[in-house]
Amino acid sequence: MAKRILFVDDEPMVLNGLQRSLRLMRSEWEMVFAPGGNEALAAMEKQTFDIIVTDMRMPGMDGAQLLEEVQKRSPQTLRMVLSGQSDRETILRSVNPAHQFISKPCEAEELKSRLIRAFALKDLLQNPGLRELVTKLDNLPSLPHVYLQLNQELRRPEPELQKIDELIGADMAMTAKVLKLVNSAFFCLPCEISRASHAIKLLGLDTLRALVLTAHVFERFESDLLSAEDVQQISDHSLAVSNSARKIAVLEHGDQRMQDEAFTAGLLHDAGKLILASTLREHYGKVLEHSAKADVGLFAAEHEILACSHGQIAAYLFGLWGLPGTIVEAVAWHNEPAASLSVKFSPLAAVHVASVYHEEKSSSRLRDRTPIDSNFLTAIGCAEREKVWRSKLDADEQKGKLS
Amino acid sequence: MNSAANLAPELLTREAAQEALRQAHEEAELFINSVPSILIEINRDARIKRWNLAATKVFGLTKAEVAGKQLAECGIQWLRPDMRVEIESWCADRESKRVDALPFVVNGETRFLGLTLNWISAPEAGIDQLLIIGSDVTEREILSQQLRQAQKLEAIGQLAAGIAHEINTPIQYVGDNTRFLQESWPAFQKLVAIAREMRKEARQGPISPQTLEQFDALSKAADFEYLQTEIPRAIEQSLDGTQRVGKIVRAMKEFSHPGSEEKRSIDINKAIETTITVARNEWKYVAEVETHFDLDLPLVPCHAGEFNQVILNLLINAAQAIAQSVADGSQGKGKIVVCTTRDEDWAEISISDTGAGIPEAVRSRVFEPFFTTKAVGKGTGQGLALAHTAIVRRHGGKIWFDSEVGKGTTFYIRMPLQSPEA
Repeated sequence: MAKRILFVDDEPMVLNGLQRSLRLMRSEWEMVFAPGGNEALAAMEKQTFDIIVTDMRMPGMDGAQLLEEVQKRSPQTLRMVLSGQSDRETILRSVNPAHQFISKPCEAEELKSRLIRAFALKDLLQNPGLRELVTKLDNLPSLPHVYLQLNQELRRPEPELQKIDELIGADMAMTAKVLKLVNSAFFCLPCEISRASHAIKLLGLDTLRALVLTAHVFERFESDLLSAEDVQQISDHSLAVSNSARKIAVLEHGDQRMQDEAFTAGLLHDAGKLILASTLREHYGKVLEHSAKADVGLFAAEHEILACSHGQIAAYLFGLWGLPGTIVEAVAWHNEPAASLSVKFSPLAAVHVASVYHEEKSSSRLRDRTPIDSNFLTAIGCAEREKVWRSKLDADEQKGKLS
Repeated sequence: MNSAANLAPELLTREAAQEALRQAHEEAELFINSVPSILIEINRDARIKRWNLAATKVFGLTKAEVAGKQLAECGIQWLRPDMRVEIESWCADRESKRVDALPFVVNGETRFLGLTLNWISAPEAGIDQLLIIGSDVTEREILSQQLRQAQKLEAIGQLAAGIAHEINTPIQYVGDNTRFLQESWPAFQKLVAIAREMRKEARQGPISPQTLEQFDALSKAADFEYLQTEIPRAIEQSLDGTQRVGKIVRAMKEFSHPGSEEKRSIDINKAIETTITVARNEWKYVAEVETHFDLDLPLVPCHAGEFNQVILNLLINAAQAIAQSVADGSQGKGKIVVCTTRDEDWAEISISDTGAGIPEAVRSRVFEPFFTTKAVGKGTGQGLALAHTAIVRRHGGKIWFDSEVGKGTTFYIRMPLQSPEA
């Protein structure tokens, strides 16, 4: 099936320009151009689109209204905004309905590569039903107590930045969401941001407050499938893996960026479990049941029931949100790194080893029970390094217990 | 004894009267000196008669130093070159009036005076002089200048997001078109090479089938028909885009031009046009703007920055009023009509919208400071109050409106063609 993209802009010259500059892709993509929201919806009646790219400010129906409608009518369509407007009001209106926000002017090459990356995500999540469910998601659920604390802190007349940093930095959903915001080209940053605390500084407290309290970009986690202990366990495990993955990146002389990516990928690697438990409850109930009955790890159970893993589900969403590619890769393949295209040390290897390391010490029912892939470590030239990493993590843990 | 006795009380009375007079005089002097305002009295020939302590403090000159001298040349360092003429006109006009922000230098520092001129005239008592009361208003003047500057910056800030949008949009398609031209060019280079080859071969006989094949292959791959129609369009639209950017940048520059504190004679048609351009992003989604300018309108003495801001406020109000009534866009856009005309000694500007109209109940409050009907964050309730101050107080003009609920509102401004102070 051809890959279909719908472009919407009230300025015909912008549409003409896009048509010309993306012309070389015409054999691969079918591109349709609509001069307004109503025309776009009419086009969507006739055929389905994989991606919609819309302007924000248009007379009559604006971009946010259009995307909300698209979300309802065609949930599998990936929603992008390409706008010359980048004030706070626009951010607030589009942050939920849009997967990605791209600022005008956007180089044709940049737009092309974002579209190519978005199409490539399909390969990550083969099951179209699951894809549709994940594409529909606005929000990731946050841990209830963190959600409450953050709301309380932000309601104070002078919230403490450090406390907010700590709260968001320890919650996978919030971390993912603020990274989505700053990495969407709103801020025209020269490089990708991979750590929540940087993202918070870039957003500023006022914007963050407006996002949380008025735009409700964070949601609290609710699911009857997981007990409070289960949720706490996922959270503790994620934080532990996140710290350890960063330490491994340091041992491998990764630069600041790689350390940040390892940290964030570690924090986010199990986000798929929360997505499954809160939004794909029926499926996940079966997964948990199968895992208990057959006495297999969750990873195997997910493959049995869903034909994909929690890693791929979360990675698909993070990819839609435009999070840095290395983070998406590490989240997707942390249980089965050999399935990735990785050929050298990257955050993926760090998260893989760190997650197995911490699972070995746990007895939770939510374990994946996947082993270290030594062939992969050999392939990336880290076969001997695993011991070094483990002894560093052991030593730090000893130190932690002593102090 | 008797006569002495008779004389003595007479003398005593005279002495007492003199004493009383002296005392009254002293008291008056004391009173005058204790007034915290400057109090200066000058004769018809502008010579200084009275000079109180406050005047001494403000000007750094004692009464002894200035008494009997002309006010224009008494030692005060006036900054206006025409001070002498100005003071002479005060004496000649014999009218009471206010003079604001009169600059002078004391101790190397520029200060400003605010004065009230009161002509005291009692011919039977031989009194015919000008009483000048006033004070140093430098701080107030600085504050109000800062306020005006801040308001101007605020107006620009308000527009910044819209202007960025107005620039980003054309840059987007100029960039896309240029990329397209870059990608299309190699095909033409190949075409030229094949044409040269054909020319070379044609000299010696028929063109070889290989070369013809090359040509056909290139034609097919490059889709010259498409390029021939699209390239001129891409160029035209790119030029249009750069023009649009240029226009908005120029308008922005003119709009925010640091207005001098003095009035200048300006072409208000052009000023209004500029403001319409700068505010385009605020109205273009809800309305069309139509202008009917009186091209014979003479230049109008104006504080350009403040005038532009008034027009901007009225345009934004008009656009927001229309946005209220065409919110869903189903009835298409509204209309804003801007006219200028001359009416004798006045330039009249009208700005009409097809918006929701101003409800009867709030009409009398429209020019009140902080009065707003807009949603929080949409307006501070200062726009029209400031417009009123700017037009009436700063320009000696008038501002009013007609409104019909459901039909729209027209704001009128009248600006004197002759500056009232001139």
